[in-house]
Amino acid sequence: MKDFARRMIGIDRRIIFLLIAAAVLLPLLRPFGLPIKISPEVRAVYDYIEALPERSVFLLSFDFDPSSKPELEPQAVALLRHAFRKNLRVIGMTHWLTGTGLADDIFSRVAAEMGRERGKDYVFLGWSPGAGSLVIAMGQDLYKAFPSDYQKTPTQGMPVLEGVKSLRDVNYMVSLAAGNPGIEMWYVFGKDKYRFEMAGGSTGVIAPGLYPFLRSGQINGLIGGLQGAAEYETLIKRKGTATAGMDAQSATHFVIIVLVFLCNVFYFVLRGEEGKSN
Amino acid sequence: MPGPVLPTETLLGAWVAAGLTLFIYSFLYKDNPLFKLGEHLYVGISVGYSVVLAWHTVFLRLLWEPVKKDIIENPAALGSYVLLIPAVLGLLMWARFIPKIAWLSRLAFAFVVGFGSGVAIPRAVSSYILKQIEDTVNPLVIRGADGLSMGFNLASPQSGVNTIVLVIGVVSVLFYFFFSVEHTGPGRVTARTGIYFLMIAFGAAFGYTVMSRMSLLIGRFSDLIKYASAEYGYAALVLLALTVLALAAWEMASRGRHAV
Repeated sequence: MKDFARRMIGIDRRIIFLLIAAAVLLPLLRPFGLPIKISPEVRAVYDYIEALPERSVFLLSFDFDPSSKPELEPQAVALLRHAFRKNLRVIGMTHWLTGTGLADDIFSRVAAEMGRERGKDYVFLGWSPGAGSLVIAMGQDLYKAFPSDYQKTPTQGMPVLEGVKSLRDVNYMVSLAAGNPGIEMWYVFGKDKYRFEMAGGSTGVIAPGLYPFLRSGQINGLIGGLQGAAEYETLIKRKGTATAGMDAQSATHFVIIVLVFLCNVFYFVLRGEEGKSN
Repeated sequence: MPGPVLPTETLLGAWVAAGLTLFIYSFLYKDNPLFKLGEHLYVGISVGYSVVLAWHTVFLRLLWEPVKKDIIENPAALGSYVLLIPAVLGLLMWARFIPKIAWLSRLAFAFVVGFGSGVAIPRAVSSYILKQIEDTVNPLVIRGADGLSMGFNLASPQSGVNTIVLVIGVVSVLFYFFFSVEHTGPGRVTARTGIYFLMIAFGAAFGYTVMSRMSLLIGRFSDLIKYASAEYGYAALVLLALTVLALAAWEMASRGRHAV
């Protein structure tokens, strides 16, 4: 037993990589359709958007870049599909310079799929420097903060922005964030000052740190990681890449739990031996 | 029946994306020139993209175009020149590269630090401290139609029992980081409780991190599976074969060099 444990503890790490790769690949090629349970924090975002009247103003901030695409793109797609289906006016923007092209691509793709028109049903403002200062500027005058959109079309007079002067006229906002600037910054400089309701969508890494804000009501909902995106896809009854990835996610978690358990067993088997050698 | 032919830029993008993904993952075997190529391309392209976008957005859209327009329309008005003040402050930051006038950059940094602190401190105190303290001292019992009641539902964040757990957690963790008193007797129990709360928090954070990293892996594998289809010219499969061959050749060449 000890020999086996010693061999296993010193196993080539590349074998573990292969195990994880297999746990990802097999469910992606042959999904087994595990059920997806909806959490209250994701349902809260869905319910709020569902309750908004038509042509309400929905602000979606793409605060991520391509390195977080697998987690946050499915969230963005699901939220945009829901907003366009509800016939909301959608304003998009980003605080992450390197995410601008990706955000515009997602916006244009989903809008085209849902038959929505740029300038009339949605606008992508692009990136502007300042983060917190930019949010304050948007709270004072949206048109001074963004004189033109990403396509260089002047924002003043755009049908989609009719009646919108500042952040105070936004009915709901969601920040999809991979870090800072993101959800916390939007709360601190935006919601707390200009009093609009907001929620967050985040990568799994930063999600635990956002739960205190959820509990205190500083954000009214939270979509966390690929799991959150899959839950949202289930709610809007439109399966996408997040739902497709959930089986693989469960399989990899299962493999990791088994490996952690085995590693502990081998460690305890060899612990006495280490004591003797010392 | 064959599907519609994809545009050239989409096909090219798929081949580049699949190739670079495989190059980066080749590091799992060991550090190699393909990984280095992918890594350097990533850094270079990110910086290049950022510089171009910042130039167009910050300099052209927010400074050059409005100043030019205002000066042409109303050259006599002082307001037409107001944007030149932040522009000059921005230029002063570059003075750091010239030792003789490096002190000028302090003016710009003083402005940034002063303005940033003034804007951030009140908002941070309100959002991170006051709101969080307010939520920590929730009422234990609630007056409802049936009189006073206390919630015992663990799944509800606002229930009385969770309020007790929250208060115990906050106090014990704060006490754990209070080093002016020796942690003995009841203090030791409190500090130990704080450690347990911290361990649960670290465990939750680590679990979410694992989930997040696996999601990224799933995302890349999903794309590779998509790019392995006939529609994309079997890009992922062809490039996987080429990557393996290149690694094998590099490995043999390295061994040959070491043997010599």
